[in-house]
Amino acid sequence: MMSGRHTGEQHSHTVEGTDPQLYVEVHDPDADAGLRPILLIHGFSSSSKLNWEDTGWLSALLAAGRRVITVDLPGHGRSGAPEDMDSYSPSRMRADLLQIAFDAGVRPVRAGDPSSGLDVIGYSLGSRLAWEFGATQPEIVHRIVLGGPNVADPLAEFDLVAAQRYLADGTPIADESTAGLLKMAQALPSNNIFALLSLVEAIKGEPYDPAEAVPHMPMLLVAGENDERAASMPRLAELAATYGSMAEQLVLPGRNHTSAITSRGFKQAAVAFLGS
Amino acid sequence: MAEISFPLPDLGEGLIEATVLEWLVSPGEQVERNQPLVEVETTKSAVELPSPQAGKVVRIYGGPGDKINVGEPLIVFEVPDNTAGIVGTVPKEEAPKRRVRLSAVFDED
Repeated sequence: MMSGRHTGEQHSHTVEGTDPQLYVEVHDPDADAGLRPILLIHGFSSSSKLNWEDTGWLSALLAAGRRVITVDLPGHGRSGAPEDMDSYSPSRMRADLLQIAFDAGVRPVRAGDPSSGLDVIGYSLGSRLAWEFGATQPEIVHRIVLGGPNVADPLAEFDLVAAQRYLADGTPIADESTAGLLKMAQALPSNNIFALLSLVEAIKGEPYDPAEAVPHMPMLLVAGENDERAASMPRLAELAATYGSMAEQLVLPGRNHTSAITSRGFKQAAVAFLGS
Repeated sequence: MAEISFPLPDLGEGLIEATVLEWLVSPGEQVERNQPLVEVETTKSAVELPSPQAGKVVRIYGGPGDKINVGEPLIVFEVPDNTAGIVGTVPKEEAPKRRVRLSAVFDED
């Protein structure tokens, strides 16, 4: 059911004078529902293919008649792995996402026009970016779905020095979260480990603070019941409610941070939430 | 009617097994080609496996939490005799290079 035409390209529109080298694909459904496109933002150490294609998300969204924009974050998937750390900063990535959305033809949200604006679905690190993107781009973002979300960014606590020592001479990493994240990053031979460490360093420079800017559009928060990284999801919902935003929550029984992604309940909830 | 068995496919990255998360089809159900069959989790990620063909599901192997090795039976379909010979062919409009696909193993009997 991976139907529909799609075009993929290395995104080469310069932003702030530099080329982000991001790999972008725009997928058109066979039968267009006439609704605004959906931007998908994958998680750390993942890619559009791993997070959205192999998990059945792309097929499910195309089957629902949605136009889908996927992008591989810097240092991930088929995107370039720039050497400068600036390319990996969350603010820079958000600027690149905005340019990608405009280049894909996204127009500002207009009341009464269901094809205007943009919906965003993020997972894990992608949820952090989606939260910030929604908060800073209210003119174009219509609704957001945040999977495996967290009030803090686990990458901000990452012990870079220990990771670099481990990579240099195998010194064991004491911090469990750091060891786990590095293991995840190394599990895929296609990952550029040094680009991923640049991303971690850039994130430490701009740690996640969801209270700093809260999205005002309706949001759906989704996490696996056994997802320790997303245990703080209710606090994000409270934060949204404090600012008058509508936040729905969905907990997926028996699922963890990895297995929540394929969940049919997650996909169906997202399609319904973004279709209304 | 003929039965065709599909094993758990090679999921790449040197993976030798996967754990069933949830079956999306049940025995007796008629499924379309590319319809999602099952969600499985490996040590690295979770994936949804699409049906390699249309047919009636006869048997499925493993419930939630069960491990299946690559190459072990995953699902058995019943198909009309005259179509059994053409299963496993890749439809023209597909872009097979990026999908994990199941391929058939024919019973020796």
